[in-house]
Amino acid sequence: MKVTTDDILEVIESAEVVADTKSLQNDIKLTDQGVDSLDIVNIYLLLEEKFDIKIPDEDLSQVTTVNDIVEYVNSKL
Amino acid sequence: MLGIAEIGRYIPNVRVSNVEKLAKFELDEDFLKNKLGVLSQSIKDEDEKTSDLCVKAFYDLEQKTEINKEDIECCIVVTQNPDYNIPHTSAIVHGKLALEESCACFDISLGCSGYVYGLSTIIAFMQNNGMKKGLLFTADPYSEIIDHDDKNTDLLFGDAATVTLISTEALYKPVDFSFGTKGKEYQQLLCDKKLYMNGRAVFNFTATVVPKHIQNLMQKNNLSDDQIGRYILHQGSRFIVDTITKRLKIAQEKVPFNMLEYGNTVSSSIPLILAEEMKSEHSYMLLSGYGVGLSWASTILQKVEGK
Repeated sequence: MKVTTDDILEVIESAEVVADTKSLQNDIKLTDQGVDSLDIVNIYLLLEEKFDIKIPDEDLSQVTTVNDIVEYVNSKL
Repeated sequence: MLGIAEIGRYIPNVRVSNVEKLAKFELDEDFLKNKLGVLSQSIKDEDEKTSDLCVKAFYDLEQKTEINKEDIECCIVVTQNPDYNIPHTSAIVHGKLALEESCACFDISLGCSGYVYGLSTIIAFMQNNGMKKGLLFTADPYSEIIDHDDKNTDLLFGDAATVTLISTEALYKPVDFSFGTKGKEYQQLLCDKKLYMNGRAVFNFTATVVPKHIQNLMQKNNLSDDQIGRYILHQGSRFIVDTITKRLKIAQEKVPFNMLEYGNTVSSSIPLILAEEMKSEHSYMLLSGYGVGLSWASTILQKVEGK
């Protein structure tokens, strides 16, 4: 089953890092939309736990936007 | 029954403001306060050694409780920043405090889990040797090993020392301990001349390992959340303390946070808070330390009846 944008937004919402995930723009870096350097680390951990994947440090440049994350997670499943 | 009778503390008065470093590291004050949880760091004098910090913590202990130095049979220092490589710092503390020659001294090399390990070690050692009064010091002045250009560590750590009086006249006694190590990840937090920390790896470790470890210890002892008055967690950062609190689904009011004015004081962070809770009426308190190693350790303290 393919992971959707809504699935990723649900994970970001569970991290409680932005007031409303619907206001996020999917093609802009999360760190440019109010998500700080610690919040993003928490989001990566929640993604790893939710989808049972590993996101190594060297892949972090591939998961900066919501669209990136959808594509990356699907490539790992 | 041996347990914790009193705790002395020393936090250097000198503070270095993190607010003045915001521009250098491109951060804002909200991040400092609500994520790192450190607005200023306590910094020792350059010529102050780890043993000097311990001695000052002992002076505070003397202010709080009557203590005869000739009664002290055991002196342990938890540190990874000793005065010298040789000898052990506890021997230097012993000399500076003029303790009895019959007093046993040794160091424990551990970081943020060191206080809990130290409690288990000193109590077992004293019980094995029929001792009635001992001192457990913590002092790890990271100001000596910080790389001031490293955003991950320069804003986080502060200097402090504590001393815990272990005695048969205890207010709280440990009822159980639990320990763990992930030695394969030792390189995530290490010092080779200067401190290095992989913040993401340390965060992932604490967020995934520590809450389960605490829950297991509580289950093993048939204790539920409503029986635990305080969860005294190592003050790694505000973010780490908040994350563990959320994952345990416990009330924030039960989890003291006090590093804002002096920073992460490594093995001293738990006893600095515990000192404020010694006169409390909590039936149980849970202590948990985690960090360098990667290492973790927790214990449950029980109020001694009639104290």
